Amino acid sequence: MTARPSLPALPTFVTGAVRVFSLSLSEMLWSRRTVFLLLVTGAPVFLAVVARIVQSSGIVPLRVNGVAVDGASVFGMMIWVFFLRFIIPVLGVFYGTALMADEIEDRTITYLFTRPIRRGAVLVGKYLAYLVCTSLVVLPSVVLVYFLLVPFSQVARTFTSFAIDLGLLALGLAAYGALFALVGAALKRPLVSGLVFVFGWEQVALLVPGYFRRFTVAHYVQALVPHAMPSDGVASLLQSVLTDNPPALVCLLVLAGIVGVTLWLAVSAVESREYVLDQ
Amino acid sequence: MIVAAEHLSKWYGQVSGLNDVSVSVPPGITGLLGPNGAGKSTFMKLVTGQLRPSKGQVRVLGEPIWGNPALFQRIGFCPEQDAFYDRMTGREWVTALVGLHGFDEPAAADAAARAIEAVDLTEAADRKIGSYSKGMRQRIKMAQAIAHQPELLILDEPLSGMDPIMRRRTVRQIKDWARAGTSVLVSSHILHEVEAMTSNILLINNGRIVAEGDVHHIRDLIDEHPHTVSIRTTHPHAVARELLSDEGVVSVRFDPGGLVVETARPDAFYARVTDLAASGQCGPISEITSPDDNLQAVFKYLVKA
Repeated sequence: MTARPSLPALPTFVTGAVRVFSLSLSEMLWSRRTVFLLLVTGAPVFLAVVARIVQSSGIVPLRVNGVAVDGASVFGMMIWVFFLRFIIPVLGVFYGTALMADEIEDRTITYLFTRPIRRGAVLVGKYLAYLVCTSLVVLPSVVLVYFLLVPFSQVARTFTSFAIDLGLLALGLAAYGALFALVGAALKRPLVSGLVFVFGWEQVALLVPGYFRRFTVAHYVQALVPHAMPSDGVASLLQSVLTDNPPALVCLLVLAGIVGVTLWLAVSAVESREYVLDQ
Repeated sequence: MIVAAEHLSKWYGQVSGLNDVSVSVPPGITGLLGPNGAGKSTFMKLVTGQLRPSKGQVRVLGEPIWGNPALFQRIGFCPEQDAFYDRMTGREWVTALVGLHGFDEPAAADAAARAIEAVDLTEAADRKIGSYSKGMRQRIKMAQAIAHQPELLILDEPLSGMDPIMRRRTVRQIKDWARAGTSVLVSSHILHEVEAMTSNILLINNGRIVAEGDVHHIRDLIDEHPHTVSIRTTHPHAVARELLSDEGVVSVRFDPGGLVVETARPDAFYARVTDLAASGQCGPISEITSPDDNLQAVFKYLVKA
């Protein structure tokens, strides 16, 4: 080391988060988890290709529950069944709970926690990387499904609802990701807790009349969907009967609140918690 | 003082990692020496703010370190664990980490290039870290610690995995950095590694600092006690007969495949055994090992002393 240079100004919280984001994005994009992400988001694309082939052949019309439907309706159903009920919450759980856990498991967290940036900035940077990474895979998958299923003649009519779909899916990724970032930062077994929340609590709370559903993320995300809820089972039927969709503005505010509050709590948890690495 | 700990303790649940340690580390190079599991890593983690003290306090460069990330602008840390973002090249990795100190991209790239050159990795800088040898990985870890030119360098087992030539070179480099004004706190479980860098050491065992100061004093303590030497030979009785005439030999016992000798004069003893092996008068001597090189044995001596 030669003569000590004058050091740059200390990074702010935002600068630190942006630097961690840059460092983490490519690592996240090329991780094994992304292969899982591609498989999950590839399933609806594969089904859309099959549906498109069936539709193009003209031999058998597309039917759902015995009723002939057009491509736009099938697309709406796929948004519900695949993306809203499964892909978005599952990605939120798997990525959100792993934001810090991956660095701890790989024992690379030391390199980030021994820098002149707040630990909270590390979490926020990694959260942003999660958001970009999942959006880069999920949203193109939705676009592909849309253009495979919806005939070109119907694009103008359905494009607004399609844009809303993209927006609400991104919002869903943001809300679930922030919630599970908190779970990951605060709990010892975050993945199990996350899966119980998504496949246990949310499923039950949405079916129970009363206030319980207000303590789910799904309630606010699903209220923004421009497509009718499919009646693909008893649970769906019950849910559609019991549903009391809050106004869109309320949903947007609540979801923004979930992102803000859970991220803030996650930052607080990360800054006060010790991370003991295995030797 | 670069590090000052007062009644510092750390417990992991019911397990004590560090027990009521009060110590002051002066500027310059200080070696933290202790066998595996002695509490070195816990001490290093407390000094680098990764752990919060259960009791007492630790100040680094005059400031408390826990919850004080700004202090890392003045500290470089090379951790023990062999962990990296393996898909990144050495240059990308060091540049990204230096960037976390607030350097803009060109300045971070320059600082990374200088650090990589200092650890002699320039040729491999654009290869993925996953393809590096253990020694190269150690060096790239050193590069990320020195790139922002810190006032205090904390190195946790920095020579582990390096070949002898790179080890010597790294020791020389650490001494050069210290001469240039950087304070260094370096941990190791190998006495001669630390001796090669500094005479100022802290001896840690069972979560306590058991001795501190000049390494030669510690050496003297060790030399007051008999050294145990194990000799592999096909003719143990002939070798024993020859060695028992040496006045420094305290005891001899036979083991399968050889014998174990305790001597009070290790230097003269090693010379005598080397002569015996060279002359071949007692048959072939295939191996000479000394459990005294194991730090755990040193600590047993110290505790007894």
